[in-house]
Amino acid sequence: MQNLNAPANPLETLAYIIAQQIKDYSIVYIGTGLPMVAGILAKKTHAPNITVVYESGGQDPIEGDMPWSVGCPFTWRKSPTIMEMAYSFAQCYNGYVDMGFLGFAQVDMYGNVNTHLIGKDFHNPAIRMTGSGGNNDLSSLMGNMILVGLQTPDKFPEKVDFITSVGHLTGGNSRQEAGLVGNGPSAVISPWGVYDFHPVNKRMRVKSLTPGVTFELAQQLTGFELLKPEGEIPQTKLITDEALQILRTKVDPRGVFTTMPT
Amino acid sequence: MAKYLFNQEAVANLKLGDTAILERLVDFESAREAHSQKAHAKKDKRMTLGEAVATFVQDGDIITDSGFAYVRTPQQAFYEVIRQGKKNLQMIGAPNTNQSFFIFYGCVSYSHNSYTGAEMRGIDRIFDRALKAKKTTILSEWSHGGIAQGFKAAQLGSPGILSKQMLGSDLVRYNPYLKVIQHPLKENKEAVVFVPALYPDVSFIHCHAADKYGNAYIYGPAINDLAIATAARKVIITAEEIVPENNIRYNKQGQIIPFFYADAVVEMPFGALPGSMPGCYYWPRQWWEKCMRFACASEENAKAFLDEWIMGVKDQFEFVEKLGGAKWIAEARRQTKAAEGDNEDIDFSYEEYTLKHDSGLFY
Repeated sequence: MQNLNAPANPLETLAYIIAQQIKDYSIVYIGTGLPMVAGILAKKTHAPNITVVYESGGQDPIEGDMPWSVGCPFTWRKSPTIMEMAYSFAQCYNGYVDMGFLGFAQVDMYGNVNTHLIGKDFHNPAIRMTGSGGNNDLSSLMGNMILVGLQTPDKFPEKVDFITSVGHLTGGNSRQEAGLVGNGPSAVISPWGVYDFHPVNKRMRVKSLTPGVTFELAQQLTGFELLKPEGEIPQTKLITDEALQILRTKVDPRGVFTTMPT
Repeated sequence: MAKYLFNQEAVANLKLGDTAILERLVDFESAREAHSQKAHAKKDKRMTLGEAVATFVQDGDIITDSGFAYVRTPQQAFYEVIRQGKKNLQMIGAPNTNQSFFIFYGCVSYSHNSYTGAEMRGIDRIFDRALKAKKTTILSEWSHGGIAQGFKAAQLGSPGILSKQMLGSDLVRYNPYLKVIQHPLKENKEAVVFVPALYPDVSFIHCHAADKYGNAYIYGPAINDLAIATAARKVIITAEEIVPENNIRYNKQGQIIPFFYADAVVEMPFGALPGSMPGCYYWPRQWWEKCMRFACASEENAKAFLDEWIMGVKDQFEFVEKLGGAKWIAEARRQTKAAEGDNEDIDFSYEEYTLKHDSGLFY
């Protein structure tokens, strides 16, 4: 059991910020890790009527404990139906899914995602990572994708080492010209800020920053030039005491995904 | 004369000299011939796992598996393939963490990838090291959905599917099977990807129940199983239990693989271990944590861990004993039933394996 009185840690903060993006009554495609926490938190707070869809094919499960994996029975607990994998992704293409969440190891200034490898040489990378899984499929087929991960200049490079998933490709209309479906990523969320994309050139832009984080600091944590919004930069709304209690007692009571690594 | 016009940019990027190695995965004619030639009679196909692997897995075959990640994957059958020392296999993996075990023992020389790892539990450094040491060659990079479409095309009886997935990404630059073409019916230019139908040599499918002929019943996520059962030249069914045919006919409402796809039927209780099996057993979670955190840390660790759990174990019953025997079975069954809403909710707390803490428990 967690210390219920401790201040929110960055992962809890992040889970709350992600959850805030979810609108009630929507269909939400959820990937492994923090998005699972955020989806359940949203459901137990401001968005009780969302329908959650998972990559293994589970949809609309009855709520239970925190899934240990996207293939965990909690992702298809008494689901009215479980989709075969090809059909699960097809629901995104066919326009039924309102929003989705994906993780990244690197995200670049146009929201392209890399989960393949770090390094310039495919055959001898610094480290080989997971590859696509369903990351590319969701990115290829949806608008309103939200990308979630940690922020350092290495993780936010000007150009990703490998384009696992296309965001806004090279900006402007390049995503549409490449034949992809949907409007692509709408936001990137890190512990330090929430970013969106300029409507025309599609470069990453600050939307709001975590209290205490200045634009200059966010820029220092980024490997490319961030765009600044017009006017004063809003502060990201931090987790409320009430939401923190719900998170710690009802969403992830054992801190499976919201305990900081030691 | 080359039979296929592979994506030359991908062939170059992957540094594949001879593209002949790529052909069989998309060779419809030989797959159809294999399907035509295999025994169509409804006969008893039961045999031991050892016989099934020895008879139906040849060196050089393209193998693939049922289930999702470490859910209902035919792990125990895979360990038998490793123990029999098969060589030069190509493997299609989602996830290829299962591939890493094969590659470690020199069984899989060629890899088709869509995912490797165990989600949040760390990077699969066994795979990472194997790639850099050239113990395996990547033949194609996929997304989960893209490769699912390739299998689905085979099941649909189609040469391929036009997809909107993978476009514009580096996947199409590292996958010789994918061709970006223009939508044939649109007046304005619009790119689509041609994903060819995929025909593995051997599909291993672990299911809940099968009859002796090979009618196989799956409960829970079916993932790509119906498609890979249709597509593969050879199908090995491993089943938690063998039931009378009438049990399938009357009782098993759900996903069924028809008997005539199956070449071998093997009774394999606990055949998905160390993965989970819907309705039957939850993961030994610490096994995966130890695999990703301890075994992945170095080649020495990997050898110690895999020798202990794969080479050092005769069959799945010994594996169960190592996990904790009857006590483990009872806990794992309770956990999966509770997770599925078929038991009263329980406390899912457990002692996570870390490099600093090993409880020795697997539930």
